Amino acid sequence: MKDLLAKLSKLNDKYSMFTTITADKDAGDSKFLFSAKDGLTSKDMETKCGSRILEGYRPVFDATAIAKMREAGGKLIGKTNMDEFGFGSFSTNSPFGVPKNPYDLERSCGGSSGGAACAASVIEYHVALGVSTGGSVCCPASFCGVYGLVPTYGRVSRYGVIDNGNSLDKVGLLSSCPFQIAKFLPIISGKDPKDPTSCCQPELEIKGKKIKSVAVPENALDGLSKDVRSGFNASLDTLRGMGIDVEMITMPSLKYAIPAYYIIETSEASTNLASYVGMRYGRQDGDLSLKFDDYFNYFRTEYFGDETKRRIILGTYARMAGLRDRYYSKSLRVRLHIISSYKEILKEHDAVLTPTMPFVSPRFDEISNMSPVESYSADRLTVPPNLTGMPHMSVPCGYDGNGMPMGMQIVTDHWQEDRLLTFAKEWGAVFDVRRPEVPL
Amino acid sequence: MKIGLEVHVQLPTRSKMFCSCPTTDAEAPNTHVCPTCLGMPGVKPVMNKKAVEYGIKLAKMLNCEIPEVMWFSRKTYFYPDMSKGVQITQYENTVGKKGIYYVNGGRPIHITKIQLEEDPGKTKRFGDQSSLVDYNRAGTPLTEIVTDPDFKTPAEAREFLRQLIADIRHTIDLPDDGERSIRADCNISVGVERVEVKNVSGLKNVERALTFEFVRQTKILKAGGKIERETRGFDEERGVTFSVRKKEWEADYGYINEPDLGIFHIGDLARSITIKESPTKMAVRLSQEYKIDQKTADQFVSTSVGLAKMFEVLVKATDIQTALSWTKGTISANWKTFEACGKDPEGITKIIKKLSEGRITDVEADIELKAYMAGRDACAIREQCGDLCKIIEKYLDANPEIVNEIKRNEKAINRVIGHVMKETGGKYSSADIVSETKNALCHRL
Repeated sequence: MKDLLAKLSKLNDKYSMFTTITADKDAGDSKFLFSAKDGLTSKDMETKCGSRILEGYRPVFDATAIAKMREAGGKLIGKTNMDEFGFGSFSTNSPFGVPKNPYDLERSCGGSSGGAACAASVIEYHVALGVSTGGSVCCPASFCGVYGLVPTYGRVSRYGVIDNGNSLDKVGLLSSCPFQIAKFLPIISGKDPKDPTSCCQPELEIKGKKIKSVAVPENALDGLSKDVRSGFNASLDTLRGMGIDVEMITMPSLKYAIPAYYIIETSEASTNLASYVGMRYGRQDGDLSLKFDDYFNYFRTEYFGDETKRRIILGTYARMAGLRDRYYSKSLRVRLHIISSYKEILKEHDAVLTPTMPFVSPRFDEISNMSPVESYSADRLTVPPNLTGMPHMSVPCGYDGNGMPMGMQIVTDHWQEDRLLTFAKEWGAVFDVRRPEVPL
Repeated sequence: MKIGLEVHVQLPTRSKMFCSCPTTDAEAPNTHVCPTCLGMPGVKPVMNKKAVEYGIKLAKMLNCEIPEVMWFSRKTYFYPDMSKGVQITQYENTVGKKGIYYVNGGRPIHITKIQLEEDPGKTKRFGDQSSLVDYNRAGTPLTEIVTDPDFKTPAEAREFLRQLIADIRHTIDLPDDGERSIRADCNISVGVERVEVKNVSGLKNVERALTFEFVRQTKILKAGGKIERETRGFDEERGVTFSVRKKEWEADYGYINEPDLGIFHIGDLARSITIKESPTKMAVRLSQEYKIDQKTADQFVSTSVGLAKMFEVLVKATDIQTALSWTKGTISANWKTFEACGKDPEGITKIIKKLSEGRITDVEADIELKAYMAGRDACAIREQCGDLCKIIEKYLDANPEIVNEIKRNEKAINRVIGHVMKETGGKYSSADIVSETKNALCHRL
């Protein structure tokens, strides 16, 4: 542990995975080290949530997930880099440097928990806390070749999660080792009186329940890159070899997930972002003699990034009177429809399985050529389970010709994290994770 | 002219609506605050159950439909005193809707909805154009009662509000600290467009603000002008309204469901809550049950619900006529003093019982009551009052025409006052003389 703390800043120079690193190089009597996405508030470390607007902000409280990790004997080594407020799939919307893929420094770590996935990939047995709204744990896990678990909505307290879309945000775990995920999920789970949405959960039971049959929606496989398609097919064979029943199905509802998701997410996000006006926390500058709305305008124009502004405008539009029924309210109904279509399938099968991302991590020059819609639709496989609040996990399942990792995403019914954890361990025994070469 | 009111009532919870900060007055600005009511990133609101219970009680009092499930919404607008940039309020499925409330037991006023919401903080402006914000009030639970535009005159709106406030106080045990905790937004349209006068506190001011608007709008229309849809403020000192801003449209608020709080299943809670009979309903019931006139019943109740209850106790102990005349007379005149000295109402019943059993005379009963209700020594009172009573009775006996005159016009009591003043050299206060005369008259009916 001491070793890691000593070389942490050097590692970070190479990968830009942390925005803040603990100044304390002494692990003390801590039992393990962990990192947290910068969207989780931490008492003794600056919390910026990937935004210039929060530069210099030191929260007065720990997010519940961080507090529980500390109580269990963990030491927080740093806050990981992310897209501003979680808006993005490549962690390129960060003003604090862009985390670099450990398998190819010219490529993205994925997003928005890109820094977390990078840390999980680079540091052995490391466990990183991430946050997923629409795929922000699974996407980077897939691009960085690690395991990423997103528990059921409400399983882990959201107290201290800097809100993106409140009805979607979930704290998740990333690690290159499936055992680490199984070990730490029970630690961060549980009811928290400070977050009412965590209070109706059944107890997390670890009974070793297995996944015996998976349903693969055929229509989800359209538009996959060639490499991902063949990697995924090979994984299906491995699954069959493990005695798991694989059935191809169709799931037409999946195609509504992206539009519904982006409307709900931007609607909620745009209200959350209303509190950032340069008055109470974070950065404060500008001409205080301005009228308040002029000051707010100046401040928000100056310090929000382009993607954030885009989502504020989208979200504000979708919830305006007259349009609200057509967009926001309708999206809520679509969400219910998607939940019931999953429930229907999960009556017959233990899980729904797809690739995690339709392609391996793109190069930064490819990303800069993507339109917003192209980059939004990259999330088309991770968004549906996030919309339903069902637990899901990305496990590494193959590598392309350049050695870039890819992942597959497995979704179970609400509160059935146990099946995912058991599966991860079994998969870990048959799938050989290739670790990237790490200097130092 | 159409008038509708939005009445804001601060709920008497000990802690704020979504956190445990106290709702009491703070010694200094920004001291009764925490990360939650300051809207720090990452905090989540946690509902104060007591506020929901109060909301349900008021919804029941207003005869509202209470839904099985309700939820909260976020209303977004930018203002420095709104810590979260959004206000948690109710938009769809509020704690109550479609209520009906009768003014003076007569004309129905329709209640559009009653909703729960949080108060923002306060902005204090200074002469040098600077402003400071105090968030002590941010997150204080409020309920907003919205009426249909059913009022036809400012006076009617005022009367409604007077009665409503009394009923609210009684229903949720709202402390009687003036009208501070109750504010109203007054919507008024003389022509087509509606103007909202924000945050008017006090019954008189509501009527004044509405009257001013009625005159202002009428003048504009007569001159061929157009009334602008806008939000106005009310200057209490000058009695005028002034433009604050062009009214936001609902579209600007961009309501979404509050995702941090989820859905509340309140059906069972609502069914388990019973409310006290409101003063208004009590007055209507008293008048019907005991066949007394509405005005008298209203007077009893508006003096105090305790007095009205006293009346009912006396009816059971004696008979309607005895209970009525004594409650109207001596008991009502001394009720405030009696409540202040905190004695047992049982004592009053005993005195009236003695009287109806013929063990004491009217005059004796009167003296005993006054002594008991004032918590004073009966002998001293007997002596003092006895004298005053005697003088008045003697004067009335000698001048029977005055009795009839007073019945027609209360001002005729001045003649009695003049007489007593002259006779005793100003020994008794005119208030005492008036109440004694009224007593004497009661017994002469």
